Amino acid sequence: MTTLINRPAKTPSKSIIERLNLFTALALGAVSALVVWRLALQFLPQDVEGVRILTREDKITLLSMLAWFIGFMSGIGALVGPFRWVMGKDLTHEENMFLAGKDMGTKRYFRYTTDHKVVGIQYLIITMLIFFIGGSMAMLIRTNLGHAGGGWLHPQAYNSIVGTHGILMIVGTIIMITGPFGNFIMPIMIGARDMAFPRLNALSFWLIVAAAVPLIWGQFIGGISTGWVAYNPLASQAPLGMDGYIMFICIFALSTMVAGANITTTVVRMRAKGMTWNRTPIFIYGVVASVALALPAFPVFFLSQIMSAFDRALGTTFYNTRGGGSGWLYENLFWIMGHPEVYVILIPAVAALMEMAPVFTRRPLFSFNVAVMGIAGIAGLSALVWAHHMYMAGWAPLLNAPFMITTELISIPTGMLFLVLVGTLWRGRLWVTMPLLSIFALLWNFMIGGVTGIYLSDVPADAFLHGSMYVTAHFHYTLMGAGLTGALASLVYWFPKMTGRMFDKKLSWISFWLVQVGFNTAFIGMFLVGLAGQPRRVEAYAPTFSVANLVTTIGAYIIMAGMLVLLYGVIFSWRDGVKAPMNPWQAKTLEWTVPFPIPLENFDELPTVTSDPYGYGKAKP
Amino acid sequence: MSDVMAPKTPQWWKKSDVKKTAILWVICTAVIGFGGVELHVRNMVRPASETMSGVINLMRIFTWAAAPVAGLVGAMCLTVLTSGRHYGDNPPPDADHEIRNSPRTTAVWVSLSAVLCLFALVVGLVVFQRDSQAILDKSALQVNVTGQQWVWNFDYANGARSQDLYLPVDKPVVFHVTSVDVMHSFWIVQMGIKVNANPGYITETAVTPNKIGVFDIRCAELCGILHSYMQTKVHVLSQADYDAWFAAQGRVEAKS
Repeated sequence: MTTLINRPAKTPSKSIIERLNLFTALALGAVSALVVWRLALQFLPQDVEGVRILTREDKITLLSMLAWFIGFMSGIGALVGPFRWVMGKDLTHEENMFLAGKDMGTKRYFRYTTDHKVVGIQYLIITMLIFFIGGSMAMLIRTNLGHAGGGWLHPQAYNSIVGTHGILMIVGTIIMITGPFGNFIMPIMIGARDMAFPRLNALSFWLIVAAAVPLIWGQFIGGISTGWVAYNPLASQAPLGMDGYIMFICIFALSTMVAGANITTTVVRMRAKGMTWNRTPIFIYGVVASVALALPAFPVFFLSQIMSAFDRALGTTFYNTRGGGSGWLYENLFWIMGHPEVYVILIPAVAALMEMAPVFTRRPLFSFNVAVMGIAGIAGLSALVWAHHMYMAGWAPLLNAPFMITTELISIPTGMLFLVLVGTLWRGRLWVTMPLLSIFALLWNFMIGGVTGIYLSDVPADAFLHGSMYVTAHFHYTLMGAGLTGALASLVYWFPKMTGRMFDKKLSWISFWLVQVGFNTAFIGMFLVGLAGQPRRVEAYAPTFSVANLVTTIGAYIIMAGMLVLLYGVIFSWRDGVKAPMNPWQAKTLEWTVPFPIPLENFDELPTVTSDPYGYGKAKP
Repeated sequence: MSDVMAPKTPQWWKKSDVKKTAILWVICTAVIGFGGVELHVRNMVRPASETMSGVINLMRIFTWAAAPVAGLVGAMCLTVLTSGRHYGDNPPPDADHEIRNSPRTTAVWVSLSAVLCLFALVVGLVVFQRDSQAILDKSALQVNVTGQQWVWNFDYANGARSQDLYLPVDKPVVFHVTSVDVMHSFWIVQMGIKVNANPGYITETAVTPNKIGVFDIRCAELCGILHSYMQTKVHVLSQADYDAWFAAQGRVEAKS
């Protein structure tokens, strides 16, 4: 029991904080859910015959899930701090140190630990878990679509898998960079001792764990048979699994808001002395733009789901035309979140690769100002383009033209990001590593994703393409081809700092090539079936589409092989990898100046910054 | 980039990597332009209306407009990749320059992308305007389309109702689309038109079929378990055949 050594001997009894961990949380959550479920079953009045007869079941399900949520969060210790503060006796220094996970070993990963490095690792693990489950679902979908004329999955199960795959991957990609690297690396990169609000940091992570359970729960009570968008009125027709989706989104939106406020504050207030905005690494801009975009977007999503819950459980008619509501209201609310959200995913991935580009070309970042302008331009415009998802909705045909204009204008700041990356590669000295290859892969994939985006942004072309597999292929090219590529490169790049060991070079290369080749095979095939007229989210298709669908399925299996190699690489390198030196890439950002294991408060003495981190290259003599 | 160059170096356009990139640029642009157009046009359905031919043309135009940009990025990447790579566990020596900026390049890049964006917008808006005019045509044939889980119903002026759509060739049609349950999307694939069917609202779209034949109608919005099977056919007939069909429908209605 090494964990006891540094604990003050005078502590008479264990503080409540020391008793709480993941297991008490699971237990308390489960017990609360069961108790509330039983009570609700007993005491909720029967419904009068209304528009929906399932209202009572929805009430019971939502209440039980809410009870799970409150129980879990109390059990993990999220409420101890606020409660103590209200009672007028804030946490003691010892308790705060305990919360930070001081001298606790691996147990701190299963507690409400506030150290940003612990939260970063926790985020990394949960992101990988989400990708594992979401990826397995993708394989089920592709296997089912392997041949024409309907697969072996029941259509309801198939629809549910499509919807769950969608929402899991969206959530996974939202947190894949700002979660692990935004939490672990970002504070060190700006020379801070921790995040601005360490307890909120722990809160944002455990909220995601709490959110995951209703989604899984929902799979067993009917699933999400509506696609990840959960459009009404289909969603109000859907089985009880929909309540799991609603609860999941509400809790996840809370987590995003908390994390967004925390990261933004940290970057604005806690940069090292001398780190002016001109000297702040571009990755930081990417992370801040991402979470700052999420800040206005996710409350809208939250709101849309609250109204959905009211429609289901209380018989309101926000989205029901018969009661004076409108499905278009839901579509608007959804996409006001939904479009900024794709840039929430994309921007940090591109910014991470921009951060790596100078390191692996040994020259300065080309046009830092243009990079910042590009990120800011995308972030600004992305709030004004949501209705391009609704060109064909018939909601406001007259608004299609202005939304087409704002959408196509995004190509200008996006072009700036390309300029910065290509400009940095130009006349660089290439150090061929997996992150460098990822820059080229991103340029390739993002170019295809971007250009097909221009076709889709055009209203007449969209009249043909909307709702077809072409759209599916397009957003996989941007979110997976560009986004995930950036995240995997970040994993390999920052792996030495996070685990103390190098990511196995051979494994990173094998997985890179498998994923990229498989990805392009799969989604070029998907473009082709889309052009030939195959709608999205179908479980059976005409025989004319069979060849390209088979190609897509084969590509998907190659991606799976690549991701499994990556998973093996993570496990293998973490356990047995080569010990990493302090600065294996010879990079100039601050995170490479701290030793491994990183001390609890990162720096013995806070650094002072005198230049930007891109001072590579030397002028000709 | 000229501001950081020593006086002895050749003018920028005479440098070997610039020349190489220029040649590659032409090749890449051609490959992407032709390849992209072929990939799209060959795989798209054969058009059965002016609208769909317009869509295919737009794909051609946009592909060629994007090709120079994509080609330049590709050419620069290829040049970089073929001019010295360093493998190994330790970094190579730093590059022999420290260029951090090039206002001229940036200005050219941004204005070019703005011009291309503007071009795509103008082309798109012109076509959009033409397509939108079509729904205002009062002399056109009017067909009411109703989606329900999981069939399409078509109601014609004479009170006839069918589950396959029948249209005369070369005559403008306006569709008034609605739904009785959840949201569907009415998509005539080969004619390049689509509009959602919303319960409680009527949305419009219009087209002039220009080819006799049988074409596909598919639902393009997830609408429940049998969404994949919510398909039907549109039969485009000659005016005479259509008149005969239409009259027969009228008689059926009158009898019943």
